[in-house]
Amino acid sequence: MTEKIMVCGETVELRRKGSGAPLLYLHGGIGDTDWLPVFDDWASRFSVVQALHPGFGGSTGGEKLDGVEDLVFHYLDLLAHLGWDQGALTIVGASFGGWIAAEIAARYPKLVSHLMLVGAAGLWIDDSPPAELFGREPRELAALLFHKLDHPVAAMMAAVTDVASLPEDLILQQFKAMEALARVAWNPYFHDPKLERLLPRVRAKTAIVWGAEDRFFPPVYAQRYASAIPSAQLCLVEGAGHLVLLERPEEVTRQLIKLTT
Amino acid sequence: MEFYFFHLMPWPHLPEQYHGPAWIRCPNELYDPERGVAVYNRYIDELVYAEELGFDGVCVNEHHANAYGNMPSPNLIGSILARQTRRCKIAIVGNALPLYNPPIRVAEEFAMIDVISGGRLIAGMVVGGGPEYYSNGLNPAQARERFYEAHDLIVQAWTRPGPFVFNGKYYKLRYVNPWPRPLQKPHPPIWIPGAGSLETMEFVARRQYAYMGIPYFHRRVFERNFAFFREACEKEGYRARPEQMGWLCPIYVAENDETARREYEPHFWYFAKRLLPGIETSPPGYTTARSAVKLITARNDFLLFVDTWEQVVEGRYAIVGSPDTVVEQMTDMISSLGVGNILALLQVGTLPADLTRRNMELFAREVMPRLKAWEAERRAQAA
Repeated sequence: MTEKIMVCGETVELRRKGSGAPLLYLHGGIGDTDWLPVFDDWASRFSVVQALHPGFGGSTGGEKLDGVEDLVFHYLDLLAHLGWDQGALTIVGASFGGWIAAEIAARYPKLVSHLMLVGAAGLWIDDSPPAELFGREPRELAALLFHKLDHPVAAMMAAVTDVASLPEDLILQQFKAMEALARVAWNPYFHDPKLERLLPRVRAKTAIVWGAEDRFFPPVYAQRYASAIPSAQLCLVEGAGHLVLLERPEEVTRQLIKLTT
Repeated sequence: MEFYFFHLMPWPHLPEQYHGPAWIRCPNELYDPERGVAVYNRYIDELVYAEELGFDGVCVNEHHANAYGNMPSPNLIGSILARQTRRCKIAIVGNALPLYNPPIRVAEEFAMIDVISGGRLIAGMVVGGGPEYYSNGLNPAQARERFYEAHDLIVQAWTRPGPFVFNGKYYKLRYVNPWPRPLQKPHPPIWIPGAGSLETMEFVARRQYAYMGIPYFHRRVFERNFAFFREACEKEGYRARPEQMGWLCPIYVAENDETARREYEPHFWYFAKRLLPGIETSPPGYTTARSAVKLITARNDFLLFVDTWEQVVEGRYAIVGSPDTVVEQMTDMISSLGVGNILALLQVGTLPADLTRRNMELFAREVMPRLKAWEAERRAQAA
């Protein structure tokens, strides 16, 4: 399922499963970079590709990133490589990946037929700035990103009391990923000041899916996306924090089916 | 061997009930400008007094948005010292280059201080601490690249006839032509402080600058770092000179060991437990991954995570005692590290003015001469 392909001189690690209409999943910074069980459900209807961003896992080129635009072009190249650049494409983007998805759909509106943004970064609201993600201990991240700490991934993160005790290759990989993330999202912090006024360009049928208890990007961001994208439907998911795909995967699947049928 | 009096200018008035970090998020309502008047002027007096006591130089440095060191602009203090001292070197260690845009500002201000002081400036250049990247909004993943590029621009600005064009990745200037130029030729000596990042040590070795080991680590971390630095110099084809290496250390001298510990310990713990928390913040991309792993493994050898006085003594996190004890521990450290510059941190935390002065006096009168004599004898033996 995992493969490594070359796109414009860089390695991209991706996982692929299922057959049907093309669906690209763009992941966030933390928590959804492994293949999630919910993708198996999607694979019965879609040809699902989860690609890792440059600097994450086996994907190279993170050190060359200088802004979200670099990622937009990177994914355009990847879509061309997959033969998925003919329109009729579904993109699901969560958190940081949601920001990239929104940029692609706004800049290249003909490319994306269906768009789902889950707890997407990308916007800024003065009265509700997004929370600090960088420099947090794993247990602090768990508290920030999950609604309930009894989720197995949250419990695992909360159990890390000494980062130095983790395996060295895991620390290295995490450093590399966070560095790539910082290159794009440090300042302006997880947003593109130009994105909001580009959003009316989005032609894709759009669903905005958001954890009602999201503490990283509070639900007011969901409303902002929903009011800026012409066809957007808003769905607040009870019992979920920022990582909706981990805490309420069945609800995301339900919304995906509703969006695409 | 040269002796420098180092001042951090800490905020000594954090309220008892405050136990948060001293960096980034330490509420600035806790800074009281009314009390600041006395604090700043007392600290400047101490720096000036160091010259009178015979120190070879004084050191100041740059930190932002914190209670640990109230010198967001060390160049302001440096320019005061240029006028209030006559003889000693003024080591500004350093300016956090990526925080100046364009960094030509550093070339200008350092040149001003060098000229005003009659050529007494030591120009320190640093990447800046991890917390500065939060407080100044600068991308930490660009820290190293910006530092190296800014360094190149500054050294060129001092040594190439202007105007010239500089077309870097971050800094693009069509007319580099700073006035004044520095007095010292080809430019003031450059010191680079570091906490053990491998790239920094390799850079200093390549350029033949001087490397200053940032304190608050266990002695074995210093030993490892200076050994790495000497190796890096060997790889560049030369032997590291002692004056290329500086060791910064909190030191306290009193009549005897018991008095020294009694007088010093509470002020030292204020420093270690109230002013250090937050300094260890390392934002993503701030160091390369290979250095980051190394720094993480050194974490447990950092003063912030030390809890007993016995650990402080064993790890030489501070040198505290009678003149005999201090001389003995310092000669041991100097021999094992091979350093030629001693950066003595003689005021830390809440250490009050009277104890600071007596510490400075005892150090200057009872310790410095004996270390200099020991050094001369060692050199004579080697020759």
